[in-house]
Amino acid sequence: MKEKNSTTASTLGRILATCSKQAKDYGSCVASKVHEVEKDLCLKEFLALKNCMQHTVKIMSSRPSSSQTSVGSGALSHAYIQHPSLHCNIPESRGLFYDDANRLLICVTSSQVFSWETAPPFNPDVSPSVDSVPEGPILSVRFSLDEKVIAVQRSDCEIQFFHRETKKKLTHKCRAGSESILGFFWSDSPLCDLAVVKTSGMDLFACDSAMNLRLVETKKVNVNWYIYTHESRLVLLASGLQCKTITGFQLSTAGVVRLPKFEMTLATTESNSKPIISAGDVHLVTVYGRIYCLQVDREAMLLHTYRFYRDAVVQQGSLPIYSSKLSVSVVDNLLLVHQIDAKVVIIYDLFVDSRAPVSAPLPLLWRGYQGSDSSSQAANKENKSPESSTSNENIVMYEDAWAFLVPDLILDQTNKVLWRVHLDLEAISASSSDRTSLLEFLQRRKLEANKAKQLCLGIARALILERRPATQVTQAIDVLVTAYSYSVKAGIYKELKNEKTTATPPTDGASPDNERGRASGSSIDGEEEVEMDLPSGSSDEQQESQLSSPAISPDELYKFVFASVEETMVEESDYLVAIITEFLRSISAEKLKVDLNIYVMTVRLLARSKRFAELSLFITNKIIEPSKEVALQLLESGGQNLRVRKLGLDMLRQLSLHHEYISSLVQDGYYLEALRYAQKRKVTSVRSSLFLEAAFASNDMQHLAAILRVLSELIPGFKETSEYYTFHGLLNETSSSVAV
Amino acid sequence: MGNETKSSGASSLGGGGGGGFRAKMEHYVYSGEKKHVLAGIGIFTVIFGIPWYLMNRGSNNHRSHQDYMEKADKARKARLSSSSSSDKFSIKALDSVVRVHPQAMGMASMNSNGESLKLCVFDLRRGQNEGQELDKILFFYPPDVSFSTQLSVIGLSEGLITFTRLFSPEAACEVIEAERHSHVFYEAEPDIWMVMVVEKNKEIEAIWRVDALQKVLKEVHSLFVMFHGSIRSLLDKEPTGGLIRSHLYPFITDYLNDLSVGKKLQLPSFRETLKERGTVQMLTLARDAALEVQSLVGVLDSCAGTLRCHSLILFHDLLVSTTLSPDDTVDLFTYSVMRLTSNALSSGTSSWSYLRKGTSLSQTSSRSSSPQLVGSSDPLPLGNGNDAGRVIRPLQHNKWSKGKDGFLVTDIWGKDATPTIWLQQSQERVHLLAYQHKCLTLVLLVPTVAIVNGELDISFVKHQVIENASAKILKVEEKLSKGWGGENAYHVSGYRYLLVDNDMEVSRASPSGKVATLAKETLLAINKLRETVDTEKSRTKQEKEMEICIRAKNNAWAIARLTRGKELYMALEKASDTLLDATDSVQSFSNRYCNGTFSMD
Repeated sequence: MKEKNSTTASTLGRILATCSKQAKDYGSCVASKVHEVEKDLCLKEFLALKNCMQHTVKIMSSRPSSSQTSVGSGALSHAYIQHPSLHCNIPESRGLFYDDANRLLICVTSSQVFSWETAPPFNPDVSPSVDSVPEGPILSVRFSLDEKVIAVQRSDCEIQFFHRETKKKLTHKCRAGSESILGFFWSDSPLCDLAVVKTSGMDLFACDSAMNLRLVETKKVNVNWYIYTHESRLVLLASGLQCKTITGFQLSTAGVVRLPKFEMTLATTESNSKPIISAGDVHLVTVYGRIYCLQVDREAMLLHTYRFYRDAVVQQGSLPIYSSKLSVSVVDNLLLVHQIDAKVVIIYDLFVDSRAPVSAPLPLLWRGYQGSDSSSQAANKENKSPESSTSNENIVMYEDAWAFLVPDLILDQTNKVLWRVHLDLEAISASSSDRTSLLEFLQRRKLEANKAKQLCLGIARALILERRPATQVTQAIDVLVTAYSYSVKAGIYKELKNEKTTATPPTDGASPDNERGRASGSSIDGEEEVEMDLPSGSSDEQQESQLSSPAISPDELYKFVFASVEETMVEESDYLVAIITEFLRSISAEKLKVDLNIYVMTVRLLARSKRFAELSLFITNKIIEPSKEVALQLLESGGQNLRVRKLGLDMLRQLSLHHEYISSLVQDGYYLEALRYAQKRKVTSVRSSLFLEAAFASNDMQHLAAILRVLSELIPGFKETSEYYTFHGLLNETSSSVAV
Repeated sequence: MGNETKSSGASSLGGGGGGGFRAKMEHYVYSGEKKHVLAGIGIFTVIFGIPWYLMNRGSNNHRSHQDYMEKADKARKARLSSSSSSDKFSIKALDSVVRVHPQAMGMASMNSNGESLKLCVFDLRRGQNEGQELDKILFFYPPDVSFSTQLSVIGLSEGLITFTRLFSPEAACEVIEAERHSHVFYEAEPDIWMVMVVEKNKEIEAIWRVDALQKVLKEVHSLFVMFHGSIRSLLDKEPTGGLIRSHLYPFITDYLNDLSVGKKLQLPSFRETLKERGTVQMLTLARDAALEVQSLVGVLDSCAGTLRCHSLILFHDLLVSTTLSPDDTVDLFTYSVMRLTSNALSSGTSSWSYLRKGTSLSQTSSRSSSPQLVGSSDPLPLGNGNDAGRVIRPLQHNKWSKGKDGFLVTDIWGKDATPTIWLQQSQERVHLLAYQHKCLTLVLLVPTVAIVNGELDISFVKHQVIENASAKILKVEEKLSKGWGGENAYHVSGYRYLLVDNDMEVSRASPSGKVATLAKETLLAINKLRETVDTEKSRTKQEKEMEICIRAKNNAWAIARLTRGKELYMALEKASDTLLDATDSVQSFSNRYCNGTFSMD
């Protein structure tokens, strides 16, 4: 859809379209004074045009869709953080913590704990909830999974628990001196509720509602450091001199699974023969439901990836890195590797086997405003964006104080703000030349499913409009159809346009369909393809929230791709037919159904290019599935070719559409056959005058008499109708010899 | 000559439909002198079947009778000397069968060398003057008969054409049946006639349907046009006629080679009555296979860049897909089945192909062993100063073979030259490329306009096909082979049938092996039935619905049903069946296999 984003020319076109009046004024001014032209002669008009264009650019760039020509640094980017951010600037703050299990951003003061919800949908305006805790040093804070208990690590051997409702307090201590607490986390495994990682191993505790801790199990390992993410439920304990021996446990709902011990790979150089891995060098990421461990190898400048299976850890290749300082985020199942020194982010899609990045390294961008995320913002964008942009002007990208939180949050500890990392799908798609893999990529996006969907439609349309070789288009269509079929099978795709499909059922041909769609006023159907992408109004937004998958149903493909290009492809219907054939093949391979209007369209296209032989092959081989609409289109196209008309008639007969069949037969002058058929099938709905007039026009009185007779047998009470009298009278006038 | 007979009188007769004129001459004789053909026509009796709705047109006929007598007189002066008195002549309806009884004259023996077939092509516009009659003759088979014999055959034919044009100027004579010969006429192009004279002998095999013979003539001609362009255009190119003669001679002789079985020419006899020449036999496809095929067609379409290529796909000897008009499809299909398909290519080694030689199963001898009428090394006569060596003979046998890259190669068009053919629909010349994978044959037609650099571009197109379409070809072949029901796929047990769709020029018939099991009486009955239907059809242009049932001597039923361009012929050999049973059988056949097209009661 958003063609205008993919090409700069269309951006300009859009600007000009908006400013057409000013442009015309300026143009006519110059034209009228062309003889006496001098500087600043048409200044007034020029300024008006300039203002309008600048305004348009501003409006467009305030929309996410036109990211490249963006505000902020003005640079190209594929990932961005966006205003407004979550401000967590509490006076006398003693530190910021992130509880990834509950997705809470926690700010502590000497006696209070502020916590902000950051779970998606990320709402920066959320107000914190406040709890008070006794004073004391705080090393880390985590809420229990039911958020009833706040656990605070006070020192390396003491953790305190506070019940938020009962205000009960409990202190847990470990043996001082022999071991120290590295950290703790809550778990939802049936075995235990709390895990405390100490240098000597990991203790698992069960915690009842009265907040009594009971030691369940102890895993003895020497631990240098550990990492845990709640989304993977995986804890990695590092031991050994170089900290490269890793013991892993998964505390899943199925129980505690011990992963096989494995060694990380580390390159050694002469200068550093025994490099040591630190906790910050290892990242656990979860993409597409798979758990990966990423490990930085500074000497080799590589980021090794390991994939965790239940019973194995498999190294899966390495990504090059360009910075000694590195962090990762996961947005929408994509891996974002922040090369902090180089201040760029590289996006990888671990789904595909190739370890090539999705796009070139580009800086992370700060963007002032996003329009389509929530309507409340859309309403106050005018007054809000200038104000906030000033307030955030001191943002320094990849500052030292940035912390990258799992999975996609960035905490700027200097400014005390929290951002969420977003992907700019338009920019990514605009910079990718391999459309097929781009479509695959987009079809895997869940977060901005609607945007991905619209982009896919746009790409498909562009491929056709650009007359790409059929093989290319075929691949693209295959991608879309397979993705749809997969998502239907997986139950991800929901038919969310229920009200729309009922509004536009192809009941009576194409034209009422259109009108009804327009009347219903729903944005997708009613507006033409140019407007589809605009984040205009609430219906679009509803859709976005509903849409869980960018999968495109065949009906939508027809409606937004084929039907919309038909007009412009009039000259090249051959090409379009080839594409549609591939589309149908793809659909039939996946055993899907499609709007039968595509068949009507195929008939129209074939007839237009006079490919009647092929048309009949399409019909006889049932490539074009028989339906009333198709039959009527065949009859219409059959105006140029009798054979095609016959195909339409045959189809009507086979579909037992007696009324239409008989009417068409009469129209073709086969009134006797029509009447015989009507008599056999007892069809009385066809106007009897049709037969009579046809027979009368052929000037065959015998036929007329026969028809009168058959009709009076067929239709009860026919002898009383005025028609009977009229034609009976005519008959008697013309020839008295013929008896009825 | 007789061209001025396009009169109002005659056409008022033909106003009802302009159907063909069938004359049946029971005995006829002619002088055999070299210049004039004097056909003595004795008594004309007219047997007419008048449809009931034409009965009340009697007055009309009386009026036009006068005009028509005048025309007849004129015609006689021009060509025919007739001793018959015109009052014995009565024609009441245009679509009558004229039976001619020549009484007094005998005919010179035409089969000087025992040849049972004569075939000639002549141009009525040529040789108008005395002494130049030989100029008319464009082709005569057998080539070794004397000019006087040739002239006498052509003279008679011309006379009959001129005469019958009086009554039916649009479609003159179709056939003259004499005692010992049948003359079958076909006007291939305006004023260019092809006439086939076949000997009636006592053998029962020599019972044929006139339409079937005519279809042979039509087939030769359209194949000729496909390769060489129209006869008229070649005549215009070189008015002496040398060019056309040098083309026609090898072409038709090569074609007749195909009909020869042993030393005899095997004409389509009544045994082939459940077959329709000049139609295409299609493979029925499942929807998914059809989509794969169509997807392949899409790829082939775009193999020569922007200009669209036409293509034809065959599986075994059946058509799978075409992008050509029905007429062109029929021509190219015929040629492909004759020379290009896997069966045709292998026919050099194994003589048997169920589609082409099915009926003569018992008689077919190995083609390679059968003597060829014209060997490829024969010098070509009638060169007339033309470079005979340059004449292309696309119908020669064993000239096509499969190359390494899967494309079929031939040296018919010269060494390394790509064949070109002429498409009637688009009136353009195209290069013919044939690709074969197992039993799948692809015929790709590349517009000559798209080929600028000759063989370089051709090899580029070939490369494109191999590169883009190979995978699809494999897939299609696999799909089709999986669904391939063998040679008896379209056999319906209990039925022997022929289905013809005149709109699409498509036919389907019981496998010939199964048809061969029918009793001779049944076949003869169907032959008779088909003849009747042919006559009925030729009377009116408008398609009509028709049903005819005949009970043969052996109590078999021969049934014909026609409806809006589609025809069904059927033989039911169950002696106990009543007419009702037979009709029911047809009904269920129609519902089951023809989408109820022929369910008419």
